[in-house]
Amino acid sequence: MSATATLLPDLARITGARDETYDVRTLQIELVERDRAESFTWRPGQFAMISVFGFGEAALTITNPPDEEGFIEITFREMGKLTSALRRLSTGQIVGVRGPFGNSFPLDEWGGRDIVFVGGGIGMAALHAPLAAVLRERDRFGEVTVVVGAKSASDLVYRGEFDEWQRAGGARLIRAVDPGGEVDGWDGEVGLLPDVFERLGLSGAETVVVVCGPPVMLDFMLKATSRLGTPPARVITTLENRMKCGLGYCGHCSVGRFMVCRDGPVISGEALATLPKEL
Amino acid sequence: MTALGWHLSEKEWTEWLRVLLESGIAVIAPVLGTTGTSEFQRVGSAEEAAAPPPSRTAMSPKKFLFPQSEVLFSFDFSGESATLSQPEMERGRQLLVGLRPCDAAGLRRLDEVFLSEPEDPTYSERRQRTVIVSQACTQAGQSCFCTAVGGSPSGREGADLALTKLEGSGDLLLEPVTAGGEELAAPASASWRPITAEDRAQAARQAEAVTSAITREPLPPNAPPILASSFDSPAWAEVADGCIGCGICAYACPSCSCFDITDSGGAACGSRCRSWDSCAFSTFTRHASGHNPRADQPSRYRQRVMHKFSYFPAEHGGEMMCVGCGRCIDLCPAGVDIHHAVLALASGATLRVQARSGVKA
Repeated sequence: MSATATLLPDLARITGARDETYDVRTLQIELVERDRAESFTWRPGQFAMISVFGFGEAALTITNPPDEEGFIEITFREMGKLTSALRRLSTGQIVGVRGPFGNSFPLDEWGGRDIVFVGGGIGMAALHAPLAAVLRERDRFGEVTVVVGAKSASDLVYRGEFDEWQRAGGARLIRAVDPGGEVDGWDGEVGLLPDVFERLGLSGAETVVVVCGPPVMLDFMLKATSRLGTPPARVITTLENRMKCGLGYCGHCSVGRFMVCRDGPVISGEALATLPKEL
Repeated sequence: MTALGWHLSEKEWTEWLRVLLESGIAVIAPVLGTTGTSEFQRVGSAEEAAAPPPSRTAMSPKKFLFPQSEVLFSFDFSGESATLSQPEMERGRQLLVGLRPCDAAGLRRLDEVFLSEPEDPTYSERRQRTVIVSQACTQAGQSCFCTAVGGSPSGREGADLALTKLEGSGDLLLEPVTAGGEELAAPASASWRPITAEDRAQAARQAEAVTSAITREPLPPNAPPILASSFDSPAWAEVADGCIGCGICAYACPSCSCFDITDSGGAACGSRCRSWDSCAFSTFTRHASGHNPRADQPSRYRQRVMHKFSYFPAEHGGEMMCVGCGRCIDLCPAGVDIHHAVLALASGATLRVQARSGVKA
């Protein structure tokens, strides 16, 4: 929770950058003022408003787990003007940070349960922090499965971390591409993520399913999990609406009475069913 | 102890405004422009503020608390060190006079938004140095519907001081509503006469006459829950028919609070602004990917109506995010009428003819 409702960002410096795909990039960012950096704490699922000065601000999920003190990471896909400008910035350059904002994934409620993370395209970015947090405390949970999907093999994000996730009984990894997106020698699944998920029977009545992807994928994932007997209360997603202030004033992210920045972004399928169909 | 109020002659009222102006308080009042419409403006003389034109101002006074566009900060990365600098805020007190009760109530709705936790610092700062004098209406317009949404032509919600102009004598009744209003009036009020029972009776008669001149129907008391269950109603397409998404409804609205944040300048130096925005615009919810949760105009109009008459009331004890000023009805180039829209939705009917009755020939 931010202490004040400020629209004034903290200045921050890019301290690292790596390309996840041809159009997806991860940046490591450190707040310039040391005391601000030290007091910046977050929980997996929270987001920050990232400023690219001259272009504006965008809501981006913080992708690293909170025990990595002193810096945050963001993963974004080059999509519009702001993310194109953000991609052109390099190590040493200045951005702005406000936040953290929003609620977080209820990791405390997942103890002992099997967890399946399902990320479609850049949606995987929002699952990175909770996945990392779960893997840090691997013993607290049951089976952990990560389903990473994208339209083509070259769009799969976090490929550089796949081995690490699977290491030492960490997580079972399932890679999937949309039909037509496979390349020669592709040994993963082919099909739309919800279809792959259902075909492999990846959830049951007690499983927690954590899903993030395009709105249409979410819709089909809720149907798939329902057919597999997973109650909607245990299907957890995080919404990615257009946002401006992050503080519950500006009105952009509202879905009925639900303000994604204030009441979300993390929400269960059960709560989602009570909102207007406006995602 | 709260004073009960004072009876002032026009001369005494003007004199008091002069004293306030001379003390350095910025006085903002409706001023008749050359085009025949009036607008809230900072005035230079007490005479200008003392007798506001009876017609409603084209735009609400909200910009004096929530500017149409304001610089949040400037950035300069051209030198050795990167700097962000916030603009100097005005510090002096401001007095808003001549607000119709609906406009004062509209500012109270903005308070609900910007002063709830976490408080918006610039709004809060402006609010603290503002005193609001509402003025009871002496006439009702065709589009007025304050009484349909819990207001009244003599309402005091949102006012620090309430003014009533007595027909005939032209004298004024000034009544404190808040401690801040009483405090402002205190130094001058020693020489003013108290309000009499006869004054009150006249004020009540005047209020009654204006109230009965409002022809628009009250909303059914269960309008918010009916609307809440009408999200998928086909009537939305009809009540929003013709909406071109120009956003004038939101700009003119005394309670609309949505804003955009944009940068101007370049990467080396420039500024970030906050400006009024409208849910009527297609870009309001459009993602960078092109996906738009509210892909068509009826769904955007539905958001406007639902926010004001269902979502907001559900979180604010039934209070609506609309004060019935009627500006959006008068200014809409397509004849979209929010009062008729809510009535149509709340009655479960589509009422095509009635919903379009506001179209000008």
